[in-house]
Amino acid sequence: MRLKKGLRFDFVSSSVIEEKEKEKRINFILNKVKDGTILVTDCVFTPQDEMDLIRETMRRVDSGFPGIEVASLKKTPKGLQALLETFSDSTTKIKNFFAMLRGKKVKTPTKIGITLIGPARYIKKIKRNPNSFSILAEA
Amino acid sequence: MKIKFDFINWFLSLFGFRKTISLGIYGAPNVGKTTLANRIALDWTGEEIGKVSEIPHETRWVQKKEKIEIKVKNKKILINLLDMPGIATKIDYRQFLKYGLSKKEAKKRAREATEGVIEAIRWLKNVDTVLAVMDATQDPLTQVNITLLGNLEARKIPVIIVANKIDKKRAKPEAIREAFPNYPVVEVSALKGINMDELYSAIVNHARVRR
Repeated sequence: MRLKKGLRFDFVSSSVIEEKEKEKRINFILNKVKDGTILVTDCVFTPQDEMDLIRETMRRVDSGFPGIEVASLKKTPKGLQALLETFSDSTTKIKNFFAMLRGKKVKTPTKIGITLIGPARYIKKIKRNPNSFSILAEA
Repeated sequence: MKIKFDFINWFLSLFGFRKTISLGIYGAPNVGKTTLANRIALDWTGEEIGKVSEIPHETRWVQKKEKIEIKVKNKKILINLLDMPGIATKIDYRQFLKYGLSKKEAKKRAREATEGVIEAIRWLKNVDTVLAVMDATQDPLTQVNITLLGNLEARKIPVIIVANKIDKKRAKPEAIREAFPNYPVVEVSALKGINMDELYSAIVNHARVRR
């Protein structure tokens, strides 16, 4: 990654983002990004969250803010970690618990990963690979 | 469950109540969605669906062609073809200036394009099956493609990836297959009409009304 003077990176714990309701979560992210900050977090977004983020970004696009660039790496946990992750989300844990009791297969949520969201006016290029990504940014 | 579902559709079709499948064409801007929609519409109805342009975000509203019957061997389905605006995470009015648009026109186009993206996302609730179009000359591992496929999977919407522009020298459709190995991929050139029969076969075999 090549950095030039003036780029600001905020590294934010997933707990800060996940404790917010969806609307506030998107506001938090877009307020930072619209301000010129590149946000890096261990928070893993669902595809629905990502689409909501794109939709809300489009509502805020103007001549000074052309939009965002997003890159993420996700990993599906295995074994005991998968079991713990399955019950870690308060909104689904009860549903998943009873589903498991009924012998139904419970899909493990993707909870491990890293996400980078930044202003499109600064992020010039993202090169993605299945297990890595690189960013070319310029202030 | 699937057998029961197919049986109901077959039974309804006997009495002329065959369900029409909403087939959405999704993808990033300028991957050839409208060219593909035009090709499909032209092949089965003799009429095109929309205007194609080299300027990104030419399609800024959903364009429809209803009641298209696609027949492959002894199978046939009825579709409503929905050509969606391109999905993007950024729209900069300045990109349109280099195509000769005035600043005012470029800003208007950018504003309409943002509305188009929102509309395309909203339509995900209504489509039954999706053709996810990708430009075979470009890197397929983009956030738009990843987010789109993730959403379709989460919503249990059947998807066929269309690796378009295979007539171009730089085309690498195998990169699309490698990037998304769990999806059916059909390589076509919508512009030249290459391999469309294989796509129609895939549509007839994969497309279904959403449960």
